[in-house]
Amino acid sequence: MDTAALNDALAGLRPVLFKLARLQLRNDTWAEDVVSETLIAALEAAPTFAGQSQLKTWVVGILKHKIIDCFRKAGREVSTDAMVEAAEVEAFDELFAPDGHRTAVPLEWGDPEETFKRTQFFEILQMCVDKLPPALGRIFMMREWLEYETTEICKEMGITATNAFVMLHRARLRLRECLEMNWFAGASRT
Amino acid sequence: MNGNWKITCREAHVLLSERMDRELGIAETLRLRAHLLICAVCTKVGKQMDFMRQAIRQLDR
Repeated sequence: MDTAALNDALAGLRPVLFKLARLQLRNDTWAEDVVSETLIAALEAAPTFAGQSQLKTWVVGILKHKIIDCFRKAGREVSTDAMVEAAEVEAFDELFAPDGHRTAVPLEWGDPEETFKRTQFFEILQMCVDKLPPALGRIFMMREWLEYETTEICKEMGITATNAFVMLHRARLRLRECLEMNWFAGASRT
Repeated sequence: MNGNWKITCREAHVLLSERMDRELGIAETLRLRAHLLICAVCTKVGKQMDFMRQAIRQLDR
């Protein structure tokens, strides 16, 4: 892959990189910055790859590292609203009846592999992650996408393990509801 | 959590989420398994949490 071709390939990746960075960082300016840093690093490394998908995987790897660096720099700035949200009392109560059972029965989601074949599903997934409140979304993506250990998240965000567990639980429940409403409810009708 | 072996769906949901972030203790594991054996709803929700984890990891594909 010559320089011009690499340039083009990287420029083509910018939108998806920005989308991923935004999902994680919840801040357009930070997202722009990490994407630019990522593309510069990629150009400097001047890799040779057989195919587009290999290049993409490699560049996303760089992006994840740049995002992690961004978190380290942001530090306390990021954790303050995490603590605020963690302190809010949220009602999971509407999900459960007094006897402890769920009030609404979840749908059957079926085989993940079948769902993953549909690009539209990932658009809905991104939308649902985006809809999470900022601190919940950040922590959720740190855990699930960047694959941080819980202890690392606590250190990075300045929260307790209990805070982390509660926030991740809330994120998962919200995400589940959103996906069910916006994807699986429709799918089961066809 | 109450003193006996039975847990509610609300408690099971908490364990289903926490097992994705930490190792559950023996008692927690047994209580959760016992509940899932008799509760199709919580079993479904557990699978859905795994589904979502797989899905997020595929986001950059």
